[in-house]
Amino acid sequence: MAMLEEPGYAGIGPRVPLRELVPIPRLAGAVWLRNARVFSKLWRGALLPTFLDPFLYLLALGFGLGTYVAHINGIPYKDFIAPGLIASAAMWSSAFETTYNVYFRMNELRLYDNVLSTPVEVQDLVAGDLAWSATRATVYGIVVLAVIAIFGLVSSWWALLIPPFVLLGALCFSVIGYAFTTLIPKIDLYSYFFTLFITPMFLFSGLFFPFSKLPEWVHVVAWFMPLYHLVEITRGLATGPEFWSVIGNSAWLVALTALLFTIPVRALRKKLVA
Amino acid sequence: MNRVAPGAAPLHDAVSARGLTKSYGDRVAVDGIDFEVDPGICFGFLGPNGAGKTTTMKMIYGLATVDGGELSVLGMDATRERRVIKSRLGVVPQETNLDADLTVRENLLQQARYFGIDPGKAAERASELLDFSLIGDRADDRVHALSGGMKRRLLISRALMGDPELVVLDEPTTGLDPQARLAVWGALDRLRRRGVTLLLTTHYMEEAERLCDRLVIMDEGRIVAEGRPADLVRSHVGREVLELKLDEGCDPDRLIASLDGRIQGHDLSERTLMLYADNAEAVLEQLDHDAFPTESALARRATLEDVFLRLTGRSLRE
Repeated sequence: MAMLEEPGYAGIGPRVPLRELVPIPRLAGAVWLRNARVFSKLWRGALLPTFLDPFLYLLALGFGLGTYVAHINGIPYKDFIAPGLIASAAMWSSAFETTYNVYFRMNELRLYDNVLSTPVEVQDLVAGDLAWSATRATVYGIVVLAVIAIFGLVSSWWALLIPPFVLLGALCFSVIGYAFTTLIPKIDLYSYFFTLFITPMFLFSGLFFPFSKLPEWVHVVAWFMPLYHLVEITRGLATGPEFWSVIGNSAWLVALTALLFTIPVRALRKKLVA
Repeated sequence: MNRVAPGAAPLHDAVSARGLTKSYGDRVAVDGIDFEVDPGICFGFLGPNGAGKTTTMKMIYGLATVDGGELSVLGMDATRERRVIKSRLGVVPQETNLDADLTVRENLLQQARYFGIDPGKAAERASELLDFSLIGDRADDRVHALSGGMKRRLLISRALMGDPELVVLDEPTTGLDPQARLAVWGALDRLRRRGVTLLLTTHYMEEAERLCDRLVIMDEGRIVAEGRPADLVRSHVGREVLELKLDEGCDPDRLIASLDGRIQGHDLSERTLMLYADNAEAVLEQLDHDAFPTESALARRATLEDVFLRLTGRSLRE
């Protein structure tokens, strides 16, 4: 990795007018299609690990640890964690796509210099990449949903509504990863992103254990984690949802995604159209 | 491909700049330049590395913002109408930034999507442009299987997918072998015959002389000369050059003084003395070879390279 040319830190860049934040769907779609086309050539190799990963967690924790921890909040332990693995699969997929994959397209293949010299503008490019990352994550989420359904770990027909919410959650994870990618000066910093943000979020978002007996501050920290909200939604839908909980958690994800969208747009403009 | 009918008066310049300025931090990359490019011609930007050529190109195709002055492209303001301008422009960048995950043909089809061209028309156009760039038989290969020259021609085809009125080429033949360069020149000739305006930067003077109708020479962010290649040679150097490699004992100042009035100028770099004159052969005959011993002497036609080195100096810029 040492041979990679380092892009340098460009900063977040100046505020941009609202009309330069609103993407044109047709052009964002063109960016989406490029990524989908490349994925369609590689998906066999790419899909398997992401599918095996949650499967292993399910095996080790659900069926292993689950023999000791029989029930949580009145539901069997493996039923408790299984729906959360849909959410975490979407998170891992989004995190990898918007970090290493985007970095490679931007700084190694230098594709974005070409894209931005066509009618596509930065906001179209970012929106297309995010939409793709969320699509890919949703595909993974659906695979995991199918696996846990086969294991009989889904008890409600509401689970059929899970994919659109996974898409929403994945958009949120993706915009965070994308913002990180547009701001970091060198590729080495991704280890911090994963070790200090993604992995802790994976472990402490109520996926593997509930917070109810933990101190108050843990609840507060978890509330700020997008994975916590997506786990609440997927678990709710898989076991029989509470309407307002799903609405509330979704609203939180929409708000954070919309709020953060300006960061990669501004940073990428500063970096590539300075 | 073109919209400028022969003989019809164009409505506006293809590109025009007034006091155009661009800085990166403390470094002034482009320092208040003025130029106009007529539609349908090939216009060149020459200059040493760091002269501001690429920055000027990037401002034209929207990958660099304009700091000061005015820049209009196809009659539109480069900042406010960036998206519209880009829809009518083709860009061949200095870096080969083809999509390595796609085939040759897919690279062109993807470019068509960015321009919103419908798939049927895009497929037709891609085949046409692959033939245009003489890479039709490699259409389904991955990009990395192509030679450097083929990649360059694919870049040109890609730049033409949007049916541009203006094509910007940043060092289109750098690093190519002579045959590959000829093929690129051929493609550019065909384009110009269709009436597409070409804007190019190059380090190769013979390329500029061969392709450009007009050109500017840039140095340290400024334009130091502007005109047709032949006129620039005549006005800055003259018709011919006498290139002398002086012996140790030969005093260049006295040699120049002895030729008083018969040369139009001179340049000295280490032991090589360039004498500019209308008839280099005659100057060589008149030279007192006993007083001014030389290792070798070459009388030749003056070229754009002489102009370039006269105006931008002979020392390294990096």
